Amino acid sequence: MELIVARNIVKRYRMGEVTVYALKGVDFTLYDGELVVVLGHSGSGKSTLVNIVGGMDRASEGELYFREQPLHRANETELTNYRRSQVGFIFQFYNLMPNLTAYENIELSVQIAEDPLQIDPLMEQVGLSDRQEHFPSQLSGGEQQRVAIARALAKNPHLLLCDEPTGSLDLPTGQQILKLLRDFCERYNKAVVIITHNTNISYMADRVICLKDGLVEGIKENPEPLTPEKVSW
Amino acid sequence: MLWKKMVRDIWGNKGSYVACLVLVIFGLMIFTSFSIASDNLSLSQKDFYRQQNFAHGFTELISMPYGNLGRLNQIKGIDKIDGRVTKEVRVTQPEGDTAIYLQLVSLDLADPERVNDAKLLNGIELREGEFEIWVDNQFFETHRLELGQNVEVVAGNKARELKVEGVAISPEFTYPLRTEKEIYPNPEQFGIAYICRETMWNMFPEMRGQVNDLVFTKEPGIDFDELKDRLEPEIEQYGLINLFSRENQTSHLILDEEVAQLQRMSSALPLMFLSIAALILYIMLKRLVEQQRGQIGILKAFGYNNREVMLHYLSYALAVGAVGGLLGGLLGIYVAKPLTALLFMFFHVPEVYEGFSLYYLALGLIISLAIFLLAGYQGCRYALQLKPAEAMRPPAPISGKKLFLEKIRFLSEMLTIQGKMAIRNLGRNRSRTVFLFLGMMLSCSVVVVTWSLNDLVDKLVFYQFEEVETYHARVNLTEPAFRSTVQRELSRLDEVTRVEPLIEIPVRLSHAWREENVLLLGIAGDSMLYNIRDSEGQRVIPSDRGVILSERLAEKLDVSTGSLIELESPYKRNNDGPQMVEVYRIIPQYLGMNAYLEIREIDQIIDQGDFATAFMLNFGGNLNPDENELEISGEEQIQKNVKLLRDLYHESELVAGVDGTEERGREIRDLMETFGSLIYLYVLVGVVIAFAIIYSSSFIILSERNRELASMKVLGMTSREVFSVITFEQWFISIFAISAGLPLAQVMMFALSRELSTDLYSIPTELSGQALLMGAGITAVSILIAQSFAMRKVRGLDLVEVLKTRE
Repeated sequence: MELIVARNIVKRYRMGEVTVYALKGVDFTLYDGELVVVLGHSGSGKSTLVNIVGGMDRASEGELYFREQPLHRANETELTNYRRSQVGFIFQFYNLMPNLTAYENIELSVQIAEDPLQIDPLMEQVGLSDRQEHFPSQLSGGEQQRVAIARALAKNPHLLLCDEPTGSLDLPTGQQILKLLRDFCERYNKAVVIITHNTNISYMADRVICLKDGLVEGIKENPEPLTPEKVSW
Repeated sequence: MLWKKMVRDIWGNKGSYVACLVLVIFGLMIFTSFSIASDNLSLSQKDFYRQQNFAHGFTELISMPYGNLGRLNQIKGIDKIDGRVTKEVRVTQPEGDTAIYLQLVSLDLADPERVNDAKLLNGIELREGEFEIWVDNQFFETHRLELGQNVEVVAGNKARELKVEGVAISPEFTYPLRTEKEIYPNPEQFGIAYICRETMWNMFPEMRGQVNDLVFTKEPGIDFDELKDRLEPEIEQYGLINLFSRENQTSHLILDEEVAQLQRMSSALPLMFLSIAALILYIMLKRLVEQQRGQIGILKAFGYNNREVMLHYLSYALAVGAVGGLLGGLLGIYVAKPLTALLFMFFHVPEVYEGFSLYYLALGLIISLAIFLLAGYQGCRYALQLKPAEAMRPPAPISGKKLFLEKIRFLSEMLTIQGKMAIRNLGRNRSRTVFLFLGMMLSCSVVVVTWSLNDLVDKLVFYQFEEVETYHARVNLTEPAFRSTVQRELSRLDEVTRVEPLIEIPVRLSHAWREENVLLLGIAGDSMLYNIRDSEGQRVIPSDRGVILSERLAEKLDVSTGSLIELESPYKRNNDGPQMVEVYRIIPQYLGMNAYLEIREIDQIIDQGDFATAFMLNFGGNLNPDENELEISGEEQIQKNVKLLRDLYHESELVAGVDGTEERGREIRDLMETFGSLIYLYVLVGVVIAFAIIYSSSFIILSERNRELASMKVLGMTSREVFSVITFEQWFISIFAISAGLPLAQVMMFALSRELSTDLYSIPTELSGQALLMGAGITAVSILIAQSFAMRKVRGLDLVEVLKTRE
């Protein structure tokens, strides 16, 4: 089922006298239950695209639909509600609340969700049952990212957007994180979008959207995606 | 280049810098304007005293032959002594509703170097023996008099026409109060008139060749008390009422206090504002340096030395200090003139204006720069310690910690996640928490004290006229008279329902080596028109068991209930030494400083028979407090009766005047409404403090935690939900700050009362419930307003920008 439909998405910034185009007319569709990797080099526009799809930013032109609802016409409140109930975010630098424990960071997300998942099983799933009462500064990078994932999943969103989720992690930890994302996608039939410049990660995706200079260079389907354990870089 | 960086940094965080700047401008404006105004006033006072030969000592007598003055002039230590005749007379006016009095002060026209000489502002010299006067400028203006116009007064049992030939002021009446129960001069009802001594003797034949008032200057280096000891035995026989130094002279006391108060305010208030601004700046710079540690690392890596880096960050503080100092100083110079003019409205002194004061402008700027240099240095000291490599590494992660408060289970369960975040932040940034706490506390207490002061003026005046002196009118006699005769006469009048006698005589009370000259009031034990009240508001009935003293008088004499004190009075028939009386009760008295005794007890002590110096009256058609309409007609009725009474005794030998309590209350109320508006200035001070603190702290928190807050927004929280983390923190502190602000206000009130109370009035120390509510309310509103400004910033948080980079 179509989850996100993007038509001719353009994003331009005015920098003094100059207009810079981050996206020059991007078209794609996302479906429930698929894991998509958006692949591109620095400056290709991939983060801009995810920000727009996640309701954190607006396109300058083009149409964007979530389950046929026009997001490009949504006001600030509607965008907040969209992020609140439909989207989960995971960042490269985790962005956890430093003065909330692991458990409380997840609770923060649960308290605003309409149909949240239970925290304890989630903690178990991300392997942090025994670290619930720890503050972020007491956790390793991988553990912090797992808390961030649990926090994003706890809202039970239809779409999980991950911006370089393994960017600051070593290989084994990165693999663990990718496995969690794949599990979520399959177990709950939710769409997961991973943004990365790392081509190796794209081998575990169902589909790969390649971005270059603000345009979709191509969309590839992986008939047999690799399991996360086999991905390496 | 770094200069540009500073300007852009400041521009990027302009809200906080503006808050800081407003405080500096406010502080420096007060400093400059109050300093200039107090200089002007003080300069004018000193010049005036010197030019007009202002007396060092004052003496009131019943009467003394004028010829004895020569002998007094021989007393060692006296430079010059003048004898005068002073009398209060009533101004007659066909249409007037209120009683108007003039204090006549005689001038020896033959003497070119009079002590307490009047300064002629406008008009011509007085002529010997002519019925001509100079009147004080305020009286002249208020009554729209013209030179050459006649004023009719009742003097020496006769109506007299006095021709106004000039407008004059004297250092003795810079703040002319008719009685000690007044706080503001009221030129509507009271003025000073200077008249030739010969004319005075013509008007009051019983005083011919006599004087009842001595003023003297002393030789340099002579101690007043020694001089007093030499003078007193010489004049005691003439019915010495009072002998006091310049320091206790009403006008001088108030003028001096005003100058001192202006000087105190000119340093205390600005210091408070500048300290708060410096604290805000310190916190902002500290934050800026932490935030820009990477940039500092790069600068150092480029080869900038510590001094240059330091200077760069100090320039933020110096910019605020310089701009604020200059603007505040210039604004202060601009405000100084109207402020001085306002002071000259209260004090009858020659107007001296110092316009542009480079001295205060420069001094203000230096003070401001010095304070900010210190705050700036403290704020950016951290930048010096950073090594380039260390600076370019990200800072150690912020650690989280549960607070001990969370160990209280029910409290912890009550808290939302945002609440927990807020509470933990309090512990994380202790210095900021303390700063917020102190600021809110100060703001709250400033408002409470200001509001209380406003209530207090109410209390000072209305308490006296609505609770204590509840009579409708008062008939003042020209001299003590047998009370039964006058009482009978007054009771016979149709409208009068109750008449009570009143004695007011000057006495000297002493206890050990302490002595005070005060007015002793004699009131009937069954009085219903003069209600002495204790601190609980309960009536205290004057009895033969002893004298009732006001708190301040008791304090000055160092006596308590049951103490024995000596009482002397010039009115005593046989001058057989002082009489011992017991202190029966001590009562609060806000206006004046009196002693009270049962009227028959005074008869016994004075031994002049049953006399009175005034009578208090109530009229019929009494008011019904439940019916507003009746009350109005009641008031009108009283006014009508007062006027009837005034007409009736228009030319009476015995009646000096008739005062309506209602009209006095109304006059004072009108006067106070004008002055009461000043209170809003102080409330504004409280609001500005609270606003600046909350506003800037919100901004600092926002810049410090924008990443956290943006993450919350990305999670789908509304701006309001995100902002609640900050507001929760502020409200949480505000509960404690306001709770602490109220006792602090009480302490400030005690200090203020000690500082400001004089023999003329004492400042009650209790805070009214309304003031407490206003303090808490205004602080809360300031917090709300500041938050609503900060909220805009949360709405405008750029999620993409904030989350893109590593902190």
